[in-house]
Amino acid sequence: MARWGMVFDLHRCIGCNACVIGCKQENSLPDGVLFTRTLSEEYGVYPTVNRVYIPTLCNHCEDAPCEKVCPSGATYTRDDGIVMVDSDKCIGCGSCAVACPYDQRNELKADLFKNGLFGEGELTPFEEQGYIRFTPGMVTKCDFCSGRVDEGLDPACVVTCPTDARIFGDLDDPDSKPSKLIREKGGRAPLPEKNTKPKVYYVNWTT
Amino acid sequence: MAASSRDLPIVGDSFNVGYRFQRYWDTPMANAFFCGELGAGIFLVAAVIGSMPGMLVGLLLTSLLKTWFHMTHMGVPMKSWRAILRPDRSWISRGLLAIVFYAGFGFAYLGLAWLGLAESMGISESLVTFLKALAFLSALVVATYQGFAMSHSSAIALWNTGMMPVSSLVYALSGGVMVNLLLGGTGMAPGLQSNLVIAGMVMMGLLAVVHLSLLHAAYHGSPAGRKSVELLTRSFYAQWYWGVTWTVGIIVPAALLWSAGGSYAAMLIAGAGVLAGYYSFRVLIFKAGLFEPIMSFRP
Repeated sequence: MARWGMVFDLHRCIGCNACVIGCKQENSLPDGVLFTRTLSEEYGVYPTVNRVYIPTLCNHCEDAPCEKVCPSGATYTRDDGIVMVDSDKCIGCGSCAVACPYDQRNELKADLFKNGLFGEGELTPFEEQGYIRFTPGMVTKCDFCSGRVDEGLDPACVVTCPTDARIFGDLDDPDSKPSKLIREKGGRAPLPEKNTKPKVYYVNWTT
Repeated sequence: MAASSRDLPIVGDSFNVGYRFQRYWDTPMANAFFCGELGAGIFLVAAVIGSMPGMLVGLLLTSLLKTWFHMTHMGVPMKSWRAILRPDRSWISRGLLAIVFYAGFGFAYLGLAWLGLAESMGISESLVTFLKALAFLSALVVATYQGFAMSHSSAIALWNTGMMPVSSLVYALSGGVMVNLLLGGTGMAPGLQSNLVIAGMVMMGLLAVVHLSLLHAAYHGSPAGRKSVELLTRSFYAQWYWGVTWTVGIIVPAALLWSAGGSYAAMLIAGAGVLAGYYSFRVLIFKAGLFEPIMSFRP
C-alpha cells in the first residue's frame, strides 16, 4: 500500500496561484473556500529584498490532531495515509478546525450553497453538479484529490502547476520523486514542533 | 537564511505569511461555554450548601441554554447527536456524555428529593443520595471538559496550557458562589452567607492567579502565544480584558465582598460584575486565539 505525500519546491513556486484555481475547479469549491493557498512573504532590506511563495494545503498528518478530536468519527485516515472527512458524519462543530496547527480546515456555511458563486441566489450548472458531495454546514479540507489518486492520477493542483513546484508520490517508495527530493534536498515538514508528522514537505528552504 | 517565525504581522485570511486568528469558535460557542460552566458551577455550590432552587437553576442553565447555543453554533445541527460517539478520544464527546448524565441524574434527584417523589415511590434515602453524588460528579466534568477540549489544541498556543481546565473550574465555582448568594437573598442563614462571602473572596484571589498563570504560560509558550497575550493586554482587546475581565469581574467584586459583604446590594453588584467578567473572559479567549505562521524566511 502506498503512503501518499507531497513535496513543495520553494525555489520553483512562482506564486501564479494556478494550483488554487485548479483545486477550486476540481473540487467545485464555493466562494471563499480554498483547500490550497500560496502564501507570499517579502523579506530582507533594500536593496537586497526577496519574495518567497509558500504553497500550503492539508498536510495529511500521520498523527492527525483533527482526527483525534473529531467527536463524530467523521475524520478518518485511509490505509494509504490520506486524511478524509465523511460528509455524512460531520456535524460542523469545528473542533478539527481549532485543532489543526496549519489552519487548513474550511467551514462550508449553509448560505454558501444558496447564494451561488455570483451571489444571485441561483446555482450555476457547475455548482449544481459539484455541491452534491458536500453537506452544507460541514467542515472539510483537501483530500489530495482522492478520487483522482484512486484512478492513478495526480491531484489537480499538481497537474496544474506550470513549474513542477508540487511533486506528489509514494513516500514509502525510496525511488519515488518526492522521496528522492526529501532525501537529497533535505525536505522539512512545517511546524515540526507540533509533532503531527505531516506527509507534506518543503525543499529549498534557504535562499 | 534560515526559515523562522518571529515578529510577523497578523494577516487575517489573506495570502500572506503571518499569524492567523482562529475564527471557527466564536460568540455562540462562548455563550455555550459560559452557560455550561456557570450552570455546572451553580449546581456544584448549591449541592454543597443543600439549595434545591440553586440546583434547579444550574440544571436549567446547562441543559437548556448551553444546548441552545451549541445548536446555533453547529454547522449541521440535526446530526449533533453524533458528537457523543467518540468518548475514547474527544473531550467534546466526553462532555456531551457528562451533560446527559448530569441532566438525567440531576433532574431525577430533584424530583425525588425536592418534590417528595422518593417517599411516595418508596425509594430509599441512600439511593437518592447516590443519585446526587452521580449528578455532582457529572457536573464536575461539565465544569471542566471545555477547558480540557481547548487545552488539547496544540494549534492555538493561548489555549494549549493545563491552566485552561483550571480556569474553567475556578470561573464555574466563582459564578456558582455568587449566583447562590443572590438566590439565597436576605433569607439565607447568616453563617452560610458569611461562608459564601469568604468563598467568593477566595475565588477572586484564585481567578487572579489563574489569569496571571494563563498569561505567563502563553507568553513563554510560543511566538503565537506571545502575540495573543499582546492582543489581550495591549491591543484593542485590552480595554475589555483589563476593564471588564479584571476590574469589573475580579477587583470590584473582591473589594465589595471585603468591605460590604453582608449587604444584598453589594452582593448584587459583585455578582453581576463576576458574571460580566466571566463572560468577557470566555469571549476574549476565543477572539485572541492565534495560529502560528506555517513558516517564515524573515531573520
